[in-house]
Amino acid sequence: MNELSVLIHLLSKKEDITIIGSTKKEILNALNVKDKNKSIYFQNLIINASNYLEPLGLQIRFNPLNSYWYLSFDSETTEIISANPFEGNPRLAATLFCTLICCISSSGETTIQKIIEIRKKKGVIEDIKELKNLGFVIFDKNLNKVRLTPLIGYLLDLEKLFLKIALKMKN
Amino acid sequence: MEYQDVSIEINNLIEDIKNRVLSGEISLLDIELVPIFENLKDSLNIYNINKYSNTYKNAFQLLSQKFEELKIFLEYLDNKDTFLNYVKKNPMDTEITELLENCWKEPFTLNTLSLRFLEYSKDRLVTKKSEPLKIESIDKIRLKENFLLEIYDKKFTEQMNAFFDSIKGKLPCSYEEIFNNEDDQLKIFECFIYLLHLLQLGKLKYQKETNFLYL
Repeated sequence: MNELSVLIHLLSKKEDITIIGSTKKEILNALNVKDKNKSIYFQNLIINASNYLEPLGLQIRFNPLNSYWYLSFDSETTEIISANPFEGNPRLAATLFCTLICCISSSGETTIQKIIEIRKKKGVIEDIKELKNLGFVIFDKNLNKVRLTPLIGYLLDLEKLFLKIALKMKN
Repeated sequence: MEYQDVSIEINNLIEDIKNRVLSGEISLLDIELVPIFENLKDSLNIYNINKYSNTYKNAFQLLSQKFEELKIFLEYLDNKDTFLNYVKKNPMDTEITELLENCWKEPFTLNTLSLRFLEYSKDRLVTKKSEPLKIESIDKIRLKENFLLEIYDKKFTEQMNAFFDSIKGKLPCSYEEIFNNEDDQLKIFECFIYLLHLLQLGKLKYQKETNFLYL
């Protein structure tokens, strides 16, 4: 069993719908890396593994919502398999987008009122409930709070999305 | 060394980029500067080094400006209100869908890829597989040397039948008459074996009382 096999296993394991892959700490523990240069070791490990996986149409990605490293299909392969989970439901995708922006703008948590105010559409509560059932948000009815689960971080390239918004706003 | 001078060409390109940026036609962030530096590096030699220093200076000025634009852009990105301002503009669902396009990705998960499975797969992969038993036919080799047990060209049955044909004319005759003309002990032994087989097969018969062989 070499370190690459262990790494691939740790990056491809799925505990539940919102937990895929492993954290840096878990990976270093599994590989028994304890020296003081472990961050450099980790960086090299990820780079080398990425080079190894690239020809297979896979890439190593980081989910900023839960700090997990995981395996993902590259953009070319993703185009072929149609990764959009909201295909044919742009309304729900738009509500999730607004929830995402609201959560990011207020330290990871927002309220239903805020989403309704931003979204300016009827049926936002139903959308939030549906998003909850799909595993994208956690909705606390009593406290009136909405939080994102890490799932959207796995399914959406947030970095690319924010760059696109920034460019759109700049222009 | 071949004399090559593309400094004027590169200077013109840099000037063109500068003009387009100043007119607002393009952003420096959209321009790849690597090809310019690659071109400069590849064509630089001792003959054109004097001319190239100025071109290098112009290219680095462009790079420096690009860094400045990047810094501004990163600061802009860091501002969370930018995204909030965008959704406050109440974009259409179709616009959001377009924005999300090409941003979707699919995680690769494989629950069967457990450590135990990987170890088992590795063991199976590295274990030397036993080759299935292969039966090969032995080629008959012709050698010049003489051996006591010589392998004949013809099959045993063919040899036996040839012997039978050779003695058929003599029958009925005594056992001794069969080998009368043969002096070679090995040949007599060989023919005796044929006789025994012919008797066993019933092609020949033997009368013990008269010591005669007959058909």
